[in-house]
Amino acid sequence: MLIQTWAIFLDAYRELNSKKLFWITMVLSGLCVALFAAVGIDETSPTILWLHLRFIPVNSEIIPPSLLYKLLFVNLGLGVWLTWIATILALISTAPVFPDMVASGAIETVLSKPISRTRLFLTKYAAGLLFVTLQVAVFTVACFLVIGIRGGAWEPGLLLAIPIVVIFFSYLFAVCAVLGLITRSTIAALLLTILFWFFLYLFNLADAVLVSIREQTSVEIESRVEAISRAEAGTTEAIIGQMREAGQEVPEGFVPTAEQVNLTNPFIAGMRTENVEAQSGLEQLSWWTGLLYWVKTPLPKTGETVQLMERVIVDAAELDAAQTAADADREAQEAQGRPRRGQNRDQVEAGRRTEAVFKARSAWWVMGTSLGFEAVVLAFGAWRFKRRDF
Amino acid sequence: MSSAVGRGLGSPVAGAVVGAMPGGGGLAAKMGDYAIDLAHVAKTYAGRRKVKALRGIEMRVHRGEVFGLLGPNGAGKSTLVKILMTVIRPTECRGAMLGDPVGRKETLGRVGYLAEHHRFPDYLTGAQVLDYFGAMAKVGRVDRRRRVPELLELVGMKDWAGQKIKSYSKGMRQRVGIAQALMNDPDLILLDEPTDGVDPVGRRDIRNVLSHLKSRGKTVFLNSHLLSELEMVCDRVAILVQGVVSKQGTLDELTRDRQRYEIEVVGEGEQVEGVYRAALPTGVLREGSLVLPGQVAGAGGAAGVAPSGGSALAGTAAARRVGLHGALATGEWLEIERGTLRVGTSDAGRIQPILDALRARGAIIKSVRSIRPSLEDLFMEAVTDPTTGEVLRPGAAGGAGGAADGPRNEGSL
Repeated sequence: MLIQTWAIFLDAYRELNSKKLFWITMVLSGLCVALFAAVGIDETSPTILWLHLRFIPVNSEIIPPSLLYKLLFVNLGLGVWLTWIATILALISTAPVFPDMVASGAIETVLSKPISRTRLFLTKYAAGLLFVTLQVAVFTVACFLVIGIRGGAWEPGLLLAIPIVVIFFSYLFAVCAVLGLITRSTIAALLLTILFWFFLYLFNLADAVLVSIREQTSVEIESRVEAISRAEAGTTEAIIGQMREAGQEVPEGFVPTAEQVNLTNPFIAGMRTENVEAQSGLEQLSWWTGLLYWVKTPLPKTGETVQLMERVIVDAAELDAAQTAADADREAQEAQGRPRRGQNRDQVEAGRRTEAVFKARSAWWVMGTSLGFEAVVLAFGAWRFKRRDF
Repeated sequence: MSSAVGRGLGSPVAGAVVGAMPGGGGLAAKMGDYAIDLAHVAKTYAGRRKVKALRGIEMRVHRGEVFGLLGPNGAGKSTLVKILMTVIRPTECRGAMLGDPVGRKETLGRVGYLAEHHRFPDYLTGAQVLDYFGAMAKVGRVDRRRRVPELLELVGMKDWAGQKIKSYSKGMRQRVGIAQALMNDPDLILLDEPTDGVDPVGRRDIRNVLSHLKSRGKTVFLNSHLLSELEMVCDRVAILVQGVVSKQGTLDELTRDRQRYEIEVVGEGEQVEGVYRAALPTGVLREGSLVLPGQVAGAGGAAGVAPSGGSALAGTAAARRVGLHGALATGEWLEIERGTLRVGTSDAGRIQPILDALRARGAIIKSVRSIRPSLEDLFMEAVTDPTTGEVLRPGAAGGAGGAADGPRNEGSL
């Protein structure tokens, strides 16, 4: 039983080893880590080797080196290198696995061995993930060492990137494997998989944009409600003042009529109308984001799976501390008369809420439903493979 | 699996049919006798146009023999082999291989297979190919380490063990392929076109390997269209035509009623004819035409044989006129052509009275030869339409299309 599994894994390794792309990716990975190690931060500014990047207004007091490395790892190492570039290279390397396996002349010998087709398919699939596992493991362990040595933070949680990226890649590889099996063509499998991935990206992007607009609208409505109530209080006081000036008696608990308020402060009516419109816009946005959520539920969530990593390794408290330090820095600059940079309070709040919405989506929802999708795709692939004549 | 396959494979029907094979004997005895015992194997490729590749194969391969499967392109040879190796799912299958129902995966651990046009991963070396496929056949690591050099030596590839497959010639790949099929020390070895692309030296080497396997009691099933190759090594053959077994048996069984003696005496033309006439009993010979089977286009003129009694092949396009023909009182046919007397028998005793009579009349006997039709003659006879004399097209006669060696995948999913 294990003899065959081991043989298939060893064969997958030999196949990878024979591919130039595997080693090219490995070298590129090494370069990424070297670049990563070259970046630093001191009390004046960020650095690359011995160069100080003084035009970037952060220093080690605002962002401690450990946080910088973690942010770099999550946003660039993981977010760009592993989940985009290395993934595309991995797809190119592994897309031929199934078309090659079922190629005429190759499949007959394998099928003639005492191994069931389902097991053959699933083992071959698992062996195909070896590429990404090896690449991610090497890259992550190297980054773990860089963060430890250069950043002074030894974060074993970082190693979670290995299973997370492998799981992320496995969604795409499942689709690629089944397409390769059906079309018997590497190019077709690769292109269709990338197209599928692109659609997932679009869904994710639309989700992120719409949720962000929704939260922005919601924050705007809230601050407008606040502004209205402030304006109403001011206007009421003004009306009472006017009445007293006119010698009128103002009863206890006097509330001016809406007409009086509007006459005194015509902006309030405008704000109310704006809020009514914004409310209807918010309802529509909520409907669309709700729809997208349900559409995304059965599909693999590539982006969000990777973002789970950020939750694990970047401590919210650390980020908050950095934010507070940045705010303090900004205020200090404002006090010196420099123009205020960055977003207003509403935008910051909307950003926080958007982030909270995504963080509220449980790891179970993100990975569980994606793995469910993967299981369905693999089951379909195994079923087709089992029924096919070669 | 389709319901048809479900019925065919792993069901009690397979065993029951095996037990009910002609020739008697209990179930256990029959299973013990045959390496492959097929009662009914059919395959129809579904699709827009249904293709009946196999239309009910009935075939038996004895244990310990070298068995040859012949047939023209498109007869369904490879389809049959692939069904046995679970590469293709049969539409219907009642039969057993090594005593187990066809299609049972575990049985394949005792079977070796060399696929036609096989392509091994070219990033592997010869030794790695053997190791990989050995492991896939559940051979343990220790046994693999021992067997890889042994088998590479057997097929004459020891010096190439460490070279990548991509640097191999066709013949070398074929040798490694055969070694690969032997990794699990199988009881039954199925070789699909093993000499394809192999030079004469290589063919001889492969024949030697086959003899070696046979001497060790292994059953070898050869699928080939190189008839002369098969003739040299096979104990029994089956000829597959248009998805059915047209003939099967030992070469001797298949050619017994087509064997003949050819007698030549010294002399020329009509003089010789006169000698034969005088030696044979009066009234035996007649003028006229006689239709001979095996004398069809491309079959080779010297190998002609005559029918015993009425011929089913009467009227073939290749029929030719002969000067004199007839039959002995004991039933053997005779003909005289170009100074040669042919007698349709394999029994030397039957021609002695003729030889005696010829000598008694002073004839000098130049040669007496026992002629057995070649496998090619049998093959050509099997693949020739008796009514038109033309070679049958691939596919089932009167069926819904052509049979094929290769699968029609688009319809079979």
